[in-house]
Amino acid sequence: MTTATTGKRPLGAVGRVLARREARVALLFVLPAFLLFLAFRFGPSIAGVALSLFDYDITGEIAWRGLDHFQRLVADPLFWRAMGTTVVYTVFAVPISLVLSTVMALGVRRAFRGSRFFRSIFFLPVITSLVLAGSIFVWIFSANGPWSALMSPLGLGGSWLGSTVLVIPAIIVVGVWSRFGYGMMILIAAMQDVPRELEEAALMDGANAWQRFRSIILPHLRPTFFFLAVIETTAAFQVFDVIYVMTQGGPANASYSLVYLLYDQGFKYFDYGYAAAVGVALFAMTLVVALVQRLVIGKQR
Amino acid sequence: MTAATPTTTQALTTPDRGRRATGRGRSRSYRALEPTGLGVVLRWIWLSIAAILSFFPFYAMVVLSLKPGKVVELPGSLLPWNLSFDSYAQVLGGQNLLGWLGNTLVYSLVSVVAVLFLSALAGYAFAKKRFAGKEVMFWSFLAMVMVPFHVTLIPTFILMANLGGVDTYWGLILPTLANAQAVFLMRQFIEGLPDELFEAARIDGAGEFRIFLRIVLPLCKPILATLGIFVFLWHWNDFLWPLIIGKSNAMFTLTVGISSLQQQNVPLSTMLAGSVVALLPIFLAYLVAQRYVQEGVTGTGIKG
Repeated sequence: MTTATTGKRPLGAVGRVLARREARVALLFVLPAFLLFLAFRFGPSIAGVALSLFDYDITGEIAWRGLDHFQRLVADPLFWRAMGTTVVYTVFAVPISLVLSTVMALGVRRAFRGSRFFRSIFFLPVITSLVLAGSIFVWIFSANGPWSALMSPLGLGGSWLGSTVLVIPAIIVVGVWSRFGYGMMILIAAMQDVPRELEEAALMDGANAWQRFRSIILPHLRPTFFFLAVIETTAAFQVFDVIYVMTQGGPANASYSLVYLLYDQGFKYFDYGYAAAVGVALFAMTLVVALVQRLVIGKQR
Repeated sequence: MTAATPTTTQALTTPDRGRRATGRGRSRSYRALEPTGLGVVLRWIWLSIAAILSFFPFYAMVVLSLKPGKVVELPGSLLPWNLSFDSYAQVLGGQNLLGWLGNTLVYSLVSVVAVLFLSALAGYAFAKKRFAGKEVMFWSFLAMVMVPFHVTLIPTFILMANLGGVDTYWGLILPTLANAQAVFLMRQFIEGLPDELFEAARIDGAGEFRIFLRIVLPLCKPILATLGIFVFLWHWNDFLWPLIIGKSNAMFTLTVGISSLQQQNVPLSTMLAGSVVALLPIFLAYLVAQRYVQEGVTGTGIKG
């Protein structure tokens, strides 16, 4: 560490002046970023939690409410509906996306003719905004769209976005489409670190492709999987854009998510305190996932 | 988040890692790991099917945007003939698409320049300087990465409303410049630069800010490119914040504008034409600088 070496240097009078000047300059360098950070991250984070205990009006009127908002939250069927949607979406979208990422990464991890082309195609949805691509998915999942045509042999034709049962699966499909390329790229990078000799040795010993994956590649990927699982879970908890453009939470609130509830309460009904309480609930869920991840990783070490 | 950082920075500081496995020096046994004959064909087939499925939405978007006013029927509507650019004329003429494009460019470009400059400045100080409160400041930065953006959404909006920032450019841009992740990445990168470079310049009597501009920034080019692409993409695709802060059509970004079309009952082809125009700049950039875009997204974290 560079700070350690400079720290042990005995300072003369000149050195002290210089050090003080250096500290002043450094503070000046950090200050703009830090002030922005205080004003728009740190402050609002604290305020967001505090706000959930108040009623606030944009005119400036403020009233202490204690835990009223949370009591209301627990009794609000829409909150539980939104929680259910968010959890179901997360529980399905994240693992499906991870499995797909892994399969695709295995397919294109080594350079061969066309590997770069395939990687690029699979990565394209990652940089695509689902708000901008939303309208094509509305058509794809409509009653006379291609998805219905594809699914009608299974007896699942018709408009998926119009069905209270199938709307979540439809949103999961879109969510997975937009995310799997990200995990794929991360996993390709992680797979490069698997010692080739190990795989070769396993091959000589007659291990088949599945056995080689199971006992050589997979153990190497474990930390990457945890990283991806946390990133993807956090993102999935915040699902909003797709729903806003594809279903507006419908039909009959069947695709209403937590962030949608926060948005509606805050910016449609201007019930800021209640919306902040939803934000706190979301934060708590994220923290629980992070803690579980810490525990699981901690156990492995 | 911290669990991710070792791999992240490693990937960023050794950008050529992905190339290592290719090219010369393949041993014969390595070849044996690769599919041969039928295996190659099979791999091509399943990857092609996946690619077609994955690319289909883009294809449909473009083709249907070129078929204005017609009833969409399968599979005829998906065939690439009888095309017309009427929908493009409609969305460019009848909607404020160019205005939204301009807003999005302002939002993205100003944010990229500001975030890169401020985070490099702060990252340099955190990496190479000693000052009181450094550790506290840095760790408070890091802790905030954990707090979801949505917790801060309402208070940030109230703050901006009280400051008169609603429906203005500065109100749109300013809160998004607080980017803890960018500061963290810059610090990680600059920490790896050798001290001698700065020391030599300091002995030559260069001022601190001059050292930053002339020595630190040029050395940071690779990380600045990566981070810049990430910040740009994130702002280009950002939706919730512009939706909340932009009240009038003239202040909409592309995502907000395009989503507002849906509420107006605009024909599908016109909507899609708007989407294609909005996606085009990103795709062109991707075509030109693929590797940097991939690195920018995977190396820095979450999609915007």
